[in-house]
Amino acid sequence: MLIHENMKLADVVHHDHTLVPIINRFGIHLGFGDDNITEICRKHQLNIDFFVTILNAFHDTHYFPKEQLRNFPAVMIIDYLQKAHAYFLEDKLPEISALINKMASEYPLDKTTSNLISNFFTGYSAELKKHILREEEKVYPYVLQLEKAVSENYVDEKLRKQISDYPISEFEAEHENVEEKLFDLKNILIKYLPEPKNDKPGYQVLRELFTLEKELNEHARIEDLILVPKVKVMEETLKNREH
Amino acid sequence: MKNIIIIEKYYLIQAGIEALVQEIPGLTLLKSYSGDEPHLTDIILKHKPELLIINPFSLSSENASLPRKIHSTKNMKIIALVQKKDHDQLSSGYDEILFYEDGKFELEKKLRRQAGNCQNPENFHKELSQREITILKLIVKGLTHQEIADKLFLSIHTVNTHRKNINKKLGIKTVSGLSVYAIMNHLIQMEELSDRM
Repeated sequence: MLIHENMKLADVVHHDHTLVPIINRFGIHLGFGDDNITEICRKHQLNIDFFVTILNAFHDTHYFPKEQLRNFPAVMIIDYLQKAHAYFLEDKLPEISALINKMASEYPLDKTTSNLISNFFTGYSAELKKHILREEEKVYPYVLQLEKAVSENYVDEKLRKQISDYPISEFEAEHENVEEKLFDLKNILIKYLPEPKNDKPGYQVLRELFTLEKELNEHARIEDLILVPKVKVMEETLKNREH
Repeated sequence: MKNIIIIEKYYLIQAGIEALVQEIPGLTLLKSYSGDEPHLTDIILKHKPELLIINPFSLSSENASLPRKIHSTKNMKIIALVQKKDHDQLSSGYDEILFYEDGKFELEKKLRRQAGNCQNPENFHKELSQREITILKLIVKGLTHQEIADKLFLSIHTVNTHRKNINKKLGIKTVSGLSVYAIMNHLIQMEELSDRM
């Protein structure tokens, strides 16, 4: 379904409740009443097109934003992505980590083995965090510099070098290992742990892991659909300006 | 897991095949294309899916040579997706043909057959072999593939193959995941683990 600005936000959430954390990131919280998206965005001083584009990109894997919806200001995109990162690092990971510790006590495991499983998730968290920090410390400043260079029509030597040596396509390539660890953890839970005393905690963790995986994929899709194409266009523009 | 790519022009058909693929365990849908994307042949060769479902009549003229160019690709099953009336115009060389007119379970049977076909028969034995267990132990102790090769008088290529089979059989890819497995199955003691976890 294509979400558009005349729809009531409440109807959108009825249709896809997994959008709630995304809506929250924009400072809109449950209890928003019967207003449609345009009205709510005005109230919160949000860019309507951007809000709707993000909702659609999450909601439907087939969604591909039109040309004019792929050129939002970098600051706006990055602000959103950072809030999403905070959601993963500050909410999701500690939440799942606590669930895993609780779960481990439900299995007939000796202390070392149950520690091993907790540590495995800690290792995963650390890796995801590293990946996210790299984006925030390396990629985003680069994107902001590009935007500044485009608007001022001036590229300094350092930026020029980065465009040719380490463009966004290089950054794109490095997601993999993080995904693999999550995949492994699911399989350990599904296939290899001994029978638990209580079924619920295992299922709870598994459900959280599947949700996390889905949310991370959707997050990556936002980057691919909205940030990366914009950056590529800016890189091309600046490269052509040299000659 | 076998990766699969779909090329079909019409959204309704594409969405239907996607839904079907996602119901079959062991298949992962990589991406769907409509057939008019620029450089589609290169994209497919880059992704190297184990299975490709393609409606050759969906291809734009630029991509028309795609089926011919990929037919010789090793380890890729190529499945045609066509209407029965177009069957006659279909060139040979497809591993399977799905018809628009087929029922759900007929389609599923054909897809399962191909999904199974490209599976290495030895992987049907889920148990690790003695050799694989030896190598698994060395991996979780933190040895590199080269070090394992030297120690066991094997080529690095053989060690890589063993590692791939271990990953496939267990469904675990990372060293830290393999370590958890090894400990739980008492293949190794906690103290022996690499601290590279």
